[in-house]
Amino acid sequence: MFHWLEKNPFFFASAISIVISFAGLIEIVPNFSKAARPLVDLKPRTVLELAGKEVYKKDNCIACHSQLIRPFKSETDRYGKYSLSGEYAYDRPFLWGSKRTGPDLHRVGNYRTTDWHEAHMKNPSKIVPGSIMPAYKHQFTNVADIETAYAEAVTVRNVFHTPYGPEFKSGKAAWEAHKPKVLADAKKIADEMQDEGVKKMVAEGKVPEIVALIAYLNSLK
Amino acid sequence: MQSNAALEYDYSLAKKFTFLTILFGFLGMLVGTIIAAQLAFPELNYLLGEYGTFSRLRPIHTNTVIFGFTVSGVFATWFYFGQRVLKVSIAESRFLMVLGNIQFWLYFLGALAATVSLLLGISASKEYAQYEWPFDIVVVLVWVLWGINMMGLIGIRREKALYISVWYYLACFLGIAMLYLFNNMEIPTYFTSGGLGNPLHSVSMYAGTNDALVQWWYGHNAVAFGFTVPIVGMIYYFLPKESGQAIYSYKLSLLSFWGLMFVYLWAGSHHLLWSTVPDWMQTMGSAFSVVLILPSWGSAINMLLTMKGEWNQLTENPLIKFMVLASTFYMLSTIEGPIQAIKSVNAIAHFTDWIPGHVHDGVLGWVAFMIMASIFHMAPRMFKKELYSKKLMEAQFWLQTTAVVLYFTSMWIAGITQGMMWRAVDEYGNLMYSFIDTVTVLHPYYTIRALSGVMYLTGFIMFAYNIYKTMVAGKELSQEPQFRTPMA
Amino acid sequence: MDISEIQGYASFFMTIFLVIMLYGYIIHLYRSEKRGERDYEKYGNIALDDEITSKPVEDKPASQRYKEENK
Repeated sequence: MFHWLEKNPFFFASAISIVISFAGLIEIVPNFSKAARPLVDLKPRTVLELAGKEVYKKDNCIACHSQLIRPFKSETDRYGKYSLSGEYAYDRPFLWGSKRTGPDLHRVGNYRTTDWHEAHMKNPSKIVPGSIMPAYKHQFTNVADIETAYAEAVTVRNVFHTPYGPEFKSGKAAWEAHKPKVLADAKKIADEMQDEGVKKMVAEGKVPEIVALIAYLNSLK
Repeated sequence: MQSNAALEYDYSLAKKFTFLTILFGFLGMLVGTIIAAQLAFPELNYLLGEYGTFSRLRPIHTNTVIFGFTVSGVFATWFYFGQRVLKVSIAESRFLMVLGNIQFWLYFLGALAATVSLLLGISASKEYAQYEWPFDIVVVLVWVLWGINMMGLIGIRREKALYISVWYYLACFLGIAMLYLFNNMEIPTYFTSGGLGNPLHSVSMYAGTNDALVQWWYGHNAVAFGFTVPIVGMIYYFLPKESGQAIYSYKLSLLSFWGLMFVYLWAGSHHLLWSTVPDWMQTMGSAFSVVLILPSWGSAINMLLTMKGEWNQLTENPLIKFMVLASTFYMLSTIEGPIQAIKSVNAIAHFTDWIPGHVHDGVLGWVAFMIMASIFHMAPRMFKKELYSKKLMEAQFWLQTTAVVLYFTSMWIAGITQGMMWRAVDEYGNLMYSFIDTVTVLHPYYTIRALSGVMYLTGFIMFAYNIYKTMVAGKELSQEPQFRTPMA
Repeated sequence: MDISEIQGYASFFMTIFLVIMLYGYIIHLYRSEKRGERDYEKYGNIALDDEITSKPVEDKPASQRYKEENK
């Protein structure tokens, strides 16, 4: 039997497939529904926060920052309560990261403020002497893509039944109806900021990346 | 399939992919060296404005090394030894030749486009799976083309028995296909929202903890089936061929093959120790990681014993040096990995620089050494010229070996220092160090690592130069060498 | 029976099955060599003697044999 397998590439390949898919089937599949359960009071992110998450992904913050607090005293002392599975239930993709060149950010919204982030993103080593984080000045001038963020909210509502309200409908009209709410959220953040350029852009109805990113970071609690 | 006297192996595809291997290897290592230097000297982040920050460049480094350098190395070696161990020329089938050329161009252009997309920040932000959905489709197409080509060549083979290297390449094909498909399941938001926003954007099919599980099942096993499986296949062909010694125990190679296939996939959850995935899964990942030592060392010992009684070749032939050192680094990183997967060790090691240290003694010491050795072996046969310079090879060998040693020792120290400082408490139980203390302390190690990057990159340029000179100025060979590669 | 129970049984029996297969394979490898039915070590020569003109270690791939049988 073994020898026959070695001579028949097709069945041989099937045998390899069975052996290698076994682990995934056992480990991942049966847990799927259980691990997908959200915490009771978990709310999905607003469109502005989703746009901020896109900035987080675009500038690849995950390269240096984790979003996973492990259940050790040294970590809970430093970052806050350890992370729970249900907190991530609406995160697509998960952004746990695998490297802490900088500190964990899972609860950064609890202890950092809008103006701290603003000053820090402009010049990290001025706020934290010795920091090796680069400045992200371009986030103050680049415009965040809030329409795509809205498209994402609609998608996860339609496909995965993420609890966004019934007003999250497909199409241009629904987006135009929702847009003022996003801009109002952005204005709230911009009001707490110093940068004149940012304030001006928001007044013109554009959301700079930094505003969306700060909204997202503030929502990490 | 008539056998006429003029029948010859066709190396045109192997040559093409060899050029890509060198191109992407250079690019990937260059970016790697730049980002290593950025950690030591942050001012270097501003060379390219928005596009030159560490965070933007890092995925380019990882993806270019994995999907550019390693994968084209796998393709190049397949189109070389695949023909030889099956004893059939790919030129015997026009269909396979055309398919191979389509694969080459699709892969080349796709890889360039995907690299630009990462530079622009178009990213799904899952590690080693950052490409957005259109590029994923190109990757899948290239992979399917390769699969058809491999199956096709196997279909028209003369040698009935499949050599062990073919087993490994088949497993590489199947494993990556399965992992890549499942991990990159995503929904383009443009089409589900009535045409809103950016058509390139997508959301993952999985959320939160599930996404993490699928991602690390992929992340770990992409390493398995990209960095381990084909490279083992490579050394099982090139080491015996170069040394003229058959594999020490063919039976052991078959056993460790199945052992590796079965055990490797379980170990993925060791990337998620102490996270929110279920405890039994973490324990399983931990336990299987330790079991993984057996098949890995089975292969590594088999490679080393292949040289039994012929160790004098180690001093005479730099190519043997490259390959023996590669298998030694394979042993090192396959014992290091399981140690890091033990839960209590992982509590310190995870999130620190020990992890990149581990990855790089594997990739620099094992994968890249083996791919370069394979190309050194193939070049005289493909170009019908003698290798240009043995001295240059020797110099490259020592330079790069020193670089790897500097890399992993500095990262071991950096990682353990950082892990210990994060958890250090004073006599009252308060944390002793603020986070920034644990960053500034690493500066000397980051500097050493950047230096080792420069050294390794220099070695790679020497390698590229050597191959180039072989092509244009090597001494003509009247006939194909049987075992030992001729060099000037 | 809930899914985690099925999962438990499935993983247990599948693991046992695969372990038996692996040991069966080891026995098969050594026994067939001892009985002289098959010499696995000779496959190692596929890499060493790999000219297109050299004689295959095991001749006649399936496709060729098929052609001959259907002449």
